[in-house]
Amino acid sequence: MEEYSREPCPWRIVDDCGGAFTMGVVGGGVFQAIKGFRNAPSGIQRRLLGSLVTVKDRAPIVGGNFAVWGGVFSTFDCTLVYLRKKEDPWNSIMSGAATGAVLAARNGIPAMAGNALVGGVLLALIEGAQILISKIGSEQFKPASPMDLDYVKGFAEGSQQ
Amino acid sequence: NDYDNVSAYGTTRGRASTLSPYLNFDPSYLDTQQPEFIFPEGASRQRGRFELAFSQIGASVMGGATIGGATGLYNGIRQTALAGHTGKLRMTQVLNYTMKQGANVASSLGVIAVMYSGTGVLLSLARGSDDEVNTVASGAITGLLYKSSAGLKTCLKGGAVGLALTSAYCAYTSDRIRNFFK
Repeated sequence: MEEYSREPCPWRIVDDCGGAFTMGVVGGGVFQAIKGFRNAPSGIQRRLLGSLVTVKDRAPIVGGNFAVWGGVFSTFDCTLVYLRKKEDPWNSIMSGAATGAVLAARNGIPAMAGNALVGGVLLALIEGAQILISKIGSEQFKPASPMDLDYVKGFAEGSQQ
Repeated sequence: NDYDNVSAYGTTRGRASTLSPYLNFDPSYLDTQQPEFIFPEGASRQRGRFELAFSQIGASVMGGATIGGATGLYNGIRQTALAGHTGKLRMTQVLNYTMKQGANVASSLGVIAVMYSGTGVLLSLARGSDDEVNTVASGAITGLLYKSSAGLKTCLKGGAVGLALTSAYCAYTSDRIRNFFK
């Protein structure tokens, strides 16, 4: 059952941290591999070696950044669920804004505000896309209205004479 | 009538049997020794490797962050005390030490966890079954892979360490191996 595939809230933080780390390592690994390949001196062996070295150095860092983002986001999300006692898209949007603010805390208040805005807008876009997709997906379950059937239409028109 | 209060199994039940026909059942139908679960279509009894993977990876990252952060904090306080820093400079330096060491250990342990889980999932898909062989093999492969760029000897040492760790884990926790030695 899909709604039981996520852990309950405290353990969800660990799960989300791990998921974000994996995404960062895999995505960052691919990205850094291409970057290392392009930045290496010519010759296929040197390029492959350069790609490997860049992935080894940079991919864990990208993974760590993603993991921090995912962990902090999930912590705020679970806290809001506990405080508001409901689960809806507003939790995700507010958590995204708070995460952006916290991760820019070393750069002063204006940077925090800007990052919070970016984080909130990004999550609002993601949540909006999810709602749109679920609305379109649920159209297939809509029951047919009896007025749309042809013989009922004909009956309704005939009875108006 | 003498048979008013006697249940279908011949034992005297008193007034209860006349209240409801549902109370006349043989209690041996209920097996209360084993827990009884309902499994949805196609679900297996144990949680699969892929479901456990993210929890393991997350726990490694967070555990590594705690260990590395504690080590960095200790080193930072010692080094800044030796260098005689005070006030805001000291706080910034200690924070730098903590975060740097924390991030390093967290990402190292996380990468090891990703390699272990990834190879475990791939092996269980390729073999079609999930047992201790997958655990031990993926531990060995992870050790080899993690140290693969440091020369052949270090690579083999890493593989041996991975093999030893996962074998010890299986020896302690696996039921099949325990029953084998009983």
